Amino acid sequence: MDGFAEQKVPGGKLVGVRLRYGKTIEKVLITGDFFAHPESAVYKIEAALAGMPASATSKELAERISSVAKAEEAELVGVTPEAIADTIKKAMTA
Amino acid sequence: MKWRVIPLEIHDAYENMSIDEALLESIANTGAYPTIRFYRWKPSAVSIGTFQSMEKEVNVGRCRELGIDVIRRITGGGAVYHDFNGEITYSILGPASIFPKGIRESYRFVCDWIIAGLSQLGIKASFAPINDIVVDGKKISGNAQTRKRGVLLQHGTVLYSTDVKTMFSALNVSSEKISDKAIASAEERVTSVSRHSGASLEKLYEALLDGFTEGKDFEFGNLGNEERSRAKELEASVYRTDAWNFSR
Repeated sequence: MDGFAEQKVPGGKLVGVRLRYGKTIEKVLITGDFFAHPESAVYKIEAALAGMPASATSKELAERISSVAKAEEAELVGVTPEAIADTIKKAMTA
Repeated sequence: MKWRVIPLEIHDAYENMSIDEALLESIANTGAYPTIRFYRWKPSAVSIGTFQSMEKEVNVGRCRELGIDVIRRITGGGAVYHDFNGEITYSILGPASIFPKGIRESYRFVCDWIIAGLSQLGIKASFAPINDIVVDGKKISGNAQTRKRGVLLQHGTVLYSTDVKTMFSALNVSSEKISDKAIASAEERVTSVSRHSGASLEKLYEALLDGFTEGKDFEFGNLGNEERSRAKELEASVYRTDAWNFSR
């Protein structure tokens, strides 16, 4: 299935998620007008989310995103791991 | 520390973004002087942030009809309509070590130069985190930053005048939103130099030049041969390609 959701992060920027998923998350594309330093961290976050069960909770998704961001020493500006995770779950119900 | 200042130039979107990346590489590879450049976009263009979806943000078909280029930046942030007659864009590039370490602080650091330039035209502007400059609460400048290979690049625009109708045609705003009410609302959120000063575009450039160079040891320069040739390579291999511009 395909899904898309978008939301304005309170006090931040716009974040969108385009998703392909079945029992697992197959592909995630994170879009929006936020900043990430380095930008490559976002591509690594997308890769790390693929393969997670579609039933993963927002909290579990946010933890995976946070762990990649931390490993990449990335700074997300205008978006948070929780906001991305929440948008992924919204994309599954859209 | 010596700075290189590349005076106001006119390029198309693909050249402009290629030059920025070639300068970034040059500073990383050869220790070229930190560089300030000013430029305009001809033809007018829409640039989108590195994470944005081109098809979602931009009315690509309408842009093609109007002769407006579309391009993806290497910096984050939002979609910008670069009206040839309506703005001046700047880029600032230098080793990250000469800028404040924090993202927000480094935006403020460079935005203060824009604010200093605008003050020369009698315009009282202020920094609005994360990356905007406002006058009376309305946006007059948007800015975007990346840090790669130890080099910080910040580029941004200063609005001289706004053509909201063309901007709304170029950006993907649903037809019901392109109403007089929506245009009035956009005009309430965005302002431009021409609304606050009788200065010409040339005067705005001179004021920005002063604001950016005040207190700096600098010389006017241009791209070196290697930078020029690298920019041409990047233009062909990245910035003119659908693989880059339509990658999301």
